[in-house]
Amino acid sequence: MPQTQTAPVIVLKDLKKRFGVGDAEHYAIDGIDLTIQKGEFIAIMGPSGCGKTTLLNILGLLDSKIEGEYELEEHSVASLSVRRQARIRSQQIGFIFQSFNLVTRLNVIENVALPLVYKGTTQLNRMKQASAILHQFHLGEREYYMPYQLSGGQMQRVAIARALVNTPSIILADEPTGNLDSHSSHIIMEELSDLHKLGNTIIMVTHNPHLTTYASRVITMLDGKINTDTAQQTEEEPIDAKKPLNKIGKSTKKRRKAKRKKEVKS
Amino acid sequence: MRFLFINHIQNARQSLKSNRMRSTLTMLGITIGVASITTILALSGGASKIVSSQVDALGGNIAVIRPGAASESPLQDIAQIPSTQHFAASTLTENDLNAIQAVPHVSALAPMMVLSGAVRAESSAPVNTAIVATTPALADIVGLKPQDGQFLDPQLNQYTAVIGAQLSVDVFGTEQSIGKTITIRGKSFTVIGVLKRDNNPINYNGVDFDKSVIISQDAGRELNQGSLQIQQINVQSDSVSNLNQVIVDMNKTLLKNHMGEADFSVLSGEQIAQPTNRLFTAIAGTTTAIAAISLLVGGIGIMNIMLVSVAERTREIGIRKALGASNSDIVAQFLIESLALSIGGGISGYVIGYLLAFGISTFLPFMPLLSWEIGAVAIVVSVVIGTLFGIYPAVRASRKDPIDALRQYD
Repeated sequence: MPQTQTAPVIVLKDLKKRFGVGDAEHYAIDGIDLTIQKGEFIAIMGPSGCGKTTLLNILGLLDSKIEGEYELEEHSVASLSVRRQARIRSQQIGFIFQSFNLVTRLNVIENVALPLVYKGTTQLNRMKQASAILHQFHLGEREYYMPYQLSGGQMQRVAIARALVNTPSIILADEPTGNLDSHSSHIIMEELSDLHKLGNTIIMVTHNPHLTTYASRVITMLDGKINTDTAQQTEEEPIDAKKPLNKIGKSTKKRRKAKRKKEVKS
Repeated sequence: MRFLFINHIQNARQSLKSNRMRSTLTMLGITIGVASITTILALSGGASKIVSSQVDALGGNIAVIRPGAASESPLQDIAQIPSTQHFAASTLTENDLNAIQAVPHVSALAPMMVLSGAVRAESSAPVNTAIVATTPALADIVGLKPQDGQFLDPQLNQYTAVIGAQLSVDVFGTEQSIGKTITIRGKSFTVIGVLKRDNNPINYNGVDFDKSVIISQDAGRELNQGSLQIQQINVQSDSVSNLNQVIVDMNKTLLKNHMGEADFSVLSGEQIAQPTNRLFTAIAGTTTAIAAISLLVGGIGIMNIMLVSVAERTREIGIRKALGASNSDIVAQFLIESLALSIGGGISGYVIGYLLAFGISTFLPFMPLLSWEIGAVAIVVSVVIGTLFGIYPAVRASRKDPIDALRQYD
């Protein structure tokens, strides 16, 4: 794990997120303690509704109504103004979404250049930078295509290019391959893996256990809590250890995985 | 920040273009409002300007004395426009005439007594035909030129009259009416001159000379049971630079004559045109207020479309926020879009308004007023409307929660 000596990028202390009021009140995130170092590639897994996306939104400063502590690069997020948060989103965080979230009205290069608009870059420089990064992603010939003229994999590559155009230190990916076939998924994951090798911190939410092989650390969540964390697995017992049903499910999965690996080898 | 502003403008253009029909219809609301305001202001400005330009055209050495004190309140003036039907007995007398004649630097003066009454020749003249009793100096001061024959002459018989070209056509069926007889209030007058048309129905004398008959002061006195009712005295000074001195002196003289009562007013330059101008201003004000209602409707249209646009682009707002747009960036984006709508409507309204004004003016005796103020009014009005009705949708857009916004599928 690179550079563990430097200050962690993200520190969460007893983070809670509550939805609803009164009887309907429930904690989507129910006490998470997490430290993320610079340069980690974290995959967050877990069943639907366990709070993965909520956690990602909080990490990305899209949701600031939280309880507990969130320190981003040693600054407490609670003390930041809305405007400051927007600037951090613009300069330090890159978002990649499951549904790509390209602005349909704008063409590829304009979409990629969008984050630069809020950074205050001139039009010419925006286009230059966007074009450069699109070439990096082998989309140089698609610059003036509209999003609907692209395939899913291409759209996601555009979205990744957009997330990277501001050279953010943290990349948040919410099921980046959720809408893609397995071939495209692997292309996207290779891209993310390359970014990781370049030293970016990547936090990815995924449903697909195969993709965790790309990650340097895998966190599973359950009911708003961290269930397992590969960084601490030796010290802690998983919470669901006492739940036989779940364990069976998990162990069969593992067995299947092992079997598949054998098949590949033979 | 500057780049951001330029980007917002490009963005607005793009988004308005992508909904061309909708944008055009929304702009049309503002266009109609601004066009009607522009037309009204241009025409009323043109109308007010005729009188002042007439005064200017006369060389700037004319002063006018009218009975009654100059009122301070503009509304009162509107109620007291000098007209041919000025029934109240005038406070100006022959005595005043003589006194003014004696004021130094006065080169000419023409008292005007306007009567109404039956004017008949081969056929009856229109009911409102003005009968102007005056002195020969009027021709010089007002700039009346005979087209045929001559103007009044004290050497001639007092039962002679000069008539306007249009009146001549009305009563004789021809402009060639020299030597014919015209009956005024039962008395027969010989036509000695026909005036050149000047097409100035609105002027500071309150008389359309094309349609009036001019007789001598003595004849006028006889028609009015032997008394002279002077409704206006036009005074000409020997030079422009002396006019102010003349006005001061006339005021003094008249005040003395009237035993200290300021029951008259001496007007010059712009002041002469003022009562007429105020009337037009009042009319323009009222019609503009009505036109403003259409602007209000246009503004509501903008607000409506902007709200729709914000709702449609909720997801885009979410994306932009996730990519680092601050709330004020979002406000600016939508505000500039609504401003683009209203200013676009304002500019086209200004152009259409003037086209309309020029079209209408072909049926009117004056041209629309061309001035930068009307353009400024059009632009300011559209900016105000755009801001006023754009700010709410824009703020609403900026307040959207990015997570909810991203969840909305389009």
